[in-house]
Amino acid sequence: MEEYLQLILNGVLLGGLYAVVGVGLSMIFGIVKQVNLAHGDLMIVASFLSMVLISTFKFLNLWTVLILVVPIMFVVGFLLQKYIMMRVMDKGMEPPLIVAFGVSIIVQNGLLLLFSPDARSLETPLAIMSIKVTNMLYIPMMYVVDFCVGVVVILLLHYFFKKSFWGWAIRAAADDEQTAQIMGINTNNIYALAMGIAIASAAVAGTLVGATNNFYPHTGPQYLIIAFGVIIIGGVDSMMGSLLGGVILGLAQTLGGKFFGPGYQLLSGYVLLLILLTIRPQGLLSKARRAD
Amino acid sequence: MNTARIRNIRIAFLVLAVVILGGVSLFGNEYIKLIFMLFFLYMSLGQFWNLLGGYSGLVSLGQQIFIGLGGYTLAVTTVYYGFPLWLGALASGVFCLIFALIISRSIFRMSGVYFSIGTWVVAECLGIWFNNWRYVRMGQGMFIKPARHLDVSDVYYIAMAVAIVSVALVYYLMRSKIGLALMAMRDNPGATEVCGVSVFKNKLYCFLISSFCTGVVAAVLYMNMIFIQPDQAFGIQWTVALVFIAIIGGIGTIEGPILGAFIYVILQQWLSDYASISMLILGVIAIVVMLVMPKGIMGTLQRKIGFELLSPRRYL
Amino acid sequence: MKSGSILEVSNLSVHYGELLAVEDISFTIEPGQVVSIIGANGAGKSTVLKSISGLCAASSGSIKFLGEDVTTSKPYHTVAEGIAMVPEGRHIFPRLTVRENLLIGSFTPRARKNSDKNIQKIYELFPILGERCDQFGINLSGGEQQMLAIGRALMSEPKLLLCDEISLGLAPVIIKDIYDKVHEIHNEGISIVLVEQDIKRSLKACDWAYVFLEGKVVLQGSPEDLTEDAVQKAYFGT
Repeated sequence: MEEYLQLILNGVLLGGLYAVVGVGLSMIFGIVKQVNLAHGDLMIVASFLSMVLISTFKFLNLWTVLILVVPIMFVVGFLLQKYIMMRVMDKGMEPPLIVAFGVSIIVQNGLLLLFSPDARSLETPLAIMSIKVTNMLYIPMMYVVDFCVGVVVILLLHYFFKKSFWGWAIRAAADDEQTAQIMGINTNNIYALAMGIAIASAAVAGTLVGATNNFYPHTGPQYLIIAFGVIIIGGVDSMMGSLLGGVILGLAQTLGGKFFGPGYQLLSGYVLLLILLTIRPQGLLSKARRAD
Repeated sequence: MNTARIRNIRIAFLVLAVVILGGVSLFGNEYIKLIFMLFFLYMSLGQFWNLLGGYSGLVSLGQQIFIGLGGYTLAVTTVYYGFPLWLGALASGVFCLIFALIISRSIFRMSGVYFSIGTWVVAECLGIWFNNWRYVRMGQGMFIKPARHLDVSDVYYIAMAVAIVSVALVYYLMRSKIGLALMAMRDNPGATEVCGVSVFKNKLYCFLISSFCTGVVAAVLYMNMIFIQPDQAFGIQWTVALVFIAIIGGIGTIEGPILGAFIYVILQQWLSDYASISMLILGVIAIVVMLVMPKGIMGTLQRKIGFELLSPRRYL
Repeated sequence: MKSGSILEVSNLSVHYGELLAVEDISFTIEPGQVVSIIGANGAGKSTVLKSISGLCAASSGSIKFLGEDVTTSKPYHTVAEGIAMVPEGRHIFPRLTVRENLLIGSFTPRARKNSDKNIQKIYELFPILGERCDQFGINLSGGEQQMLAIGRALMSEPKLLLCDEISLGLAPVIIKDIYDKVHEIHNEGISIVLVEQDIKRSLKACDWAYVFLEGKVVLQGSPEDLTEDAVQKAYFGT
């Protein structure tokens, strides 16, 4: 019994992390109508960046490093959208997909050249701490941190989109680009802003992932698929959907690992994803209906 | 350009191709033949990715499904069941076809980017599955013993035959009714359907043909590689290669993958000691090509000079 | 140059690719005027509005707003200068609430400072919008959406309001209501350009009218001087 409770708890907490991994991809998918195939890789860039910063400046820890990593990644996302993605946006479906794919390859191999293919992780005292619930039930501290930070990021984004002029402007541009322009919105800058925010959220995710799991230069695509799972389950419209999506995916993984063996942990998440894609190709919570 | 000149240029290119291929076959050393063999195989794989992504609007990120399955079918049938290699390759195609038919029910419900990600996730699932499947020796991989007697020039000739058949197949497919329907569909799916063309059926045919052929080509590829391992066989790097080959050359053209595969193989060989640098350069090339000429090199050339070497269009 | 004109369009031509949509059009709008642009479908009326607001690039000619050249300005620039547009087909943001739709209208820094005050003014002008302020745009009726589109344009504190087919697809009672509001807006001192297919309605509302045919001005004058018959002839080019 307690074993299952443990798995469920772990799954839910992991879901908070997955929600932050996915929320940025979901934003860009909903707003700019692009799948940023480099999302996972840019997240791993943030993991490496945190690692370098923490080991260079000894006074930085997991929290203070975010103050540097998040703005840096925001600028990276902003520039990526403004100077590269923007130029292929109106050229159909393939060019933006391919450009993002190109960025993904460059990032992965750039990281490989810089850091070698070895496994890395962020060192933090949190990693070895855990909370004792009962004699059998321990919750890893890092999972709790992941979940809490995940929820905070989701809530911040939620209020940003609901309550701020910039949030409204981004949603307006997502709904109707031309009309947004005659409201006085520079949509090019708005898309870049959205990408900046998305990549900034990926930076938080990257730092958390780095402290929770091992990471390699090639781990990006794995998280991209997780992020995509979050969109499929949660839909693109809602921040809260992302949270739910993350939790369902987290549960699928921990429980799947239990039933089918540890080798199949990822597989059960993927299979769930495929099933959902088959029955609800536009996302579980998405309001959009299929037009067939 | 008038038709006579077009015909002359076509004949000139054909002669050039025959001369190059003949020259390499007769006088080429092992290394040259190896490069051409890789070029043939990657070009063929590129053609079949292009058949989906370029002509049918099905941007697949999961061609490694069929590369992996093709390779593994060859390994299992020849090693465990003693099939001759040619029959193993055929079995690869058939098995890929069957698998494609099975997943098509689910995969074809997804459209656009969902299709792209869906195919990729299927490939990842297979990778994990094979890594944990004792029958195929799990993550250790399989040694395709029966293929070890083949030397480079044997595989070179097989690859050349495969390449010629691939180009001819795609060419005739595109000039057939299916091709016409596909091109109409790519430009305006709704209107095409109203004209009485079943979008679903035509896309499915393409998917099945592409799967079968990719499986066969993959089997030939693994005859040269001799060793197959799940992470490598089902890895996304295949799709990276194919996307580059089709895109750089020109998506939706037959000449595109030919040029793209040539650039890819040369770049890979030239930088073979620095795999990550060559990948990095490929990434940069892909982005630059997309920014400067989103139709790819051949696509842009076609538009500029209005000339297609192997045009799927019908002139009346 | 006539000083004091709010808008001065001279020799404007606009192409869509090969197609010449607007050919060598010149007109001016004086402060406080309501100007009607009348014409059939495809006469180039909307295109003129779009090039004034910066959505369409002019191929030749110039547009001056308050003496400043805005021919090549982007929409976000012209809005900040004081040109607001009510687009054809209303184009409400469907997934934003009424209040959010209005607030996004005051996106420019100048208007944003007064957004709280201005939104109350809009609610006074269109009380129904105040009642439905938390509804999503997609759930409004056509008339309400039109009011919202007008209110949203006013939120940017414009000096010139460009209205594209504001009576399109609405019931006569609602059209009358909306034109009454346009009159009120005009009384506040805002200059207005009305683009309409409805000859009678727009002649009644304006101080000066232009009739467009195939991208050119074929007739102009004050409503008193223009008989409906003459306008109709120019409208159809007979």
